Amino acid sequence: MHDPIVHTHGLTKRFGSTTAVQDLSLSLYPGRILGFLGPNGAGKTTTIRILMGMLRPTSGRATVLGKPAGDVATRRRIGYLPGDLRVDPRLTGTDLFAWFARLRGQHEPDLVAALCDRLGLDPSRRFGALSKGNRQKVGIIQALSHRPELLILDEPTTGLDPIAQREFLVLLRETAARGAAVLFSSHVLPEVEHAATDVAIIRGGRLVTYAAVADLLDRARRRIELRYASPPATAAFDGVPGVVDVTVDGATLIVTIDGPVGPALRAATDAGMVQRVMPVDDDLENLFMTIYSDRGDRIEVH
Amino acid sequence: MWSVLTHAMHRRRFALAWWALGVAGMCGLLAAAYPTVRDNHELDNTFANLSPGIQTLLGLSNNNLLSSPTGYLDSQFYANIWPLIVLVFTIGFAAWTIAGDEQAGTLELLVANPISRVRIALARYTALLALTASLVIVCVVALSALAPSTGLNHGLPAARLAAATVAAALCALVFASVAFAVGAVTGSRPAALATSAGLAIAGYVLEGLAAQVAALRDTRWINPWHWLLVTDPLRHGLTTQAWLPAAGACTVLVLVALPPLARRDLR
Repeated sequence: MHDPIVHTHGLTKRFGSTTAVQDLSLSLYPGRILGFLGPNGAGKTTTIRILMGMLRPTSGRATVLGKPAGDVATRRRIGYLPGDLRVDPRLTGTDLFAWFARLRGQHEPDLVAALCDRLGLDPSRRFGALSKGNRQKVGIIQALSHRPELLILDEPTTGLDPIAQREFLVLLRETAARGAAVLFSSHVLPEVEHAATDVAIIRGGRLVTYAAVADLLDRARRRIELRYASPPATAAFDGVPGVVDVTVDGATLIVTIDGPVGPALRAATDAGMVQRVMPVDDDLENLFMTIYSDRGDRIEVH
Repeated sequence: MWSVLTHAMHRRRFALAWWALGVAGMCGLLAAAYPTVRDNHELDNTFANLSPGIQTLLGLSNNNLLSSPTGYLDSQFYANIWPLIVLVFTIGFAAWTIAGDEQAGTLELLVANPISRVRIALARYTALLALTASLVIVCVVALSALAPSTGLNHGLPAARLAAATVAAALCALVFASVAFAVGAVTGSRPAALATSAGLAIAGYVLEGLAAQVAALRDTRWINPWHWLLVTDPLRHGLTTQAWLPAAGACTVLVLVALPPLARRDLR
């Protein structure tokens, strides 16, 4: 296995008496896209700013591309988009891209032009005259314009229209496909589910879940809606492995399953004449809501 | 580093143009008003009767008569207006270099690039010096060109005008450097501005009082205003005593601020 691009161990950050991040340990490998998920104030931005070297950890270690977080020369290999993007309003996109290219010692005007084209940005306009979404595009392009090995993006899709959002997610996958690692924070679940290969859920500064998205989906409870010709015999589900809950409304039955669905499907056919089977597609959402709320237990998948 | 410097200069280019225009206008006004003072010797007597403190603040101590070109320029320009102009021109920029940019949120994206905070700070401080130097040049050129029209240059070579202009600008730069240092260490623009402006005013008042209050005399060695007023570069040229303490203070302020800046959390 490759060395991790980002590695943190026991990372903790306190501001006075408040603990923003506590004992955070995670590793991000080349080609992976980590969705960093959590409610507002969970510690996502603090973690990201430690990785970028803007904040010093109170304790613990953070290594980025093999160097301690904040190493100046390493920043050439990182693309960063802050959560609250601010740029000198008098600079145009072109000004900013050229300036940063000089600082990074790497100017690829063709790549910048292609990115502007794909996201639909006019780089000749001053930052101050741009809409929120177009400002965000400037931020995304400057983060990508030097082909970084690591992309760190704090709530990157804020303000983007759906078309730009989709193009952005494609860009993320392309970036990962060429072997770079991506860490992006979000509080929007479908976005993470769509784009990420891994998800880290943070709440109150602590990592509550850290798993591959696919594993998490496997672990999520599945709900299946069954339509019968006549009201079904629910007794068929009694004692069936994995069946957590059964609700009936006339001839419609919803069964909640934790684990493999086979035994429950067998029970479903025993219960009556099944006419339609429909998966209820909100299961991951339910899982995250559980984790977000205080009821959530620590979920270990790795 | 160069690109950070040019970006900072570029930001202030319009401001510099307006200030240059204002300074040139001020120089014209000074020259034009001189004949009325030159020919009015009663004013000399009035000023000679002022308290020693006020005379010190006006640069009129040691028989520097108001009606003479040096007395006129010291009391009406170099001991007050000019350092104040430079201070107001530089203090905001000095507070912006780190703290202002940090609080505006625009520093965040810049420090994600492969350039350290210390280099950003040094590049911008260099820009501050370059901007001040530009204004100094405008002032010297304007005064040298306009003074002969009313005899304000009588017995005053351009080198001495340059000496006074530089020394007073250095005095102001000490206070701008305070703004730079406080901003770099704390990340607070208001703290940088308040400390710097507060010290500049306190230093000016103390220098006036110290001429009369013996107990305050011991504060003078550390007061940039004293370094400027006691050396009187308009009459004595840019002596080592006139520039070295101020230049040294600027250097120390910058160097002291950099290590905490490199270590601390950015806002």
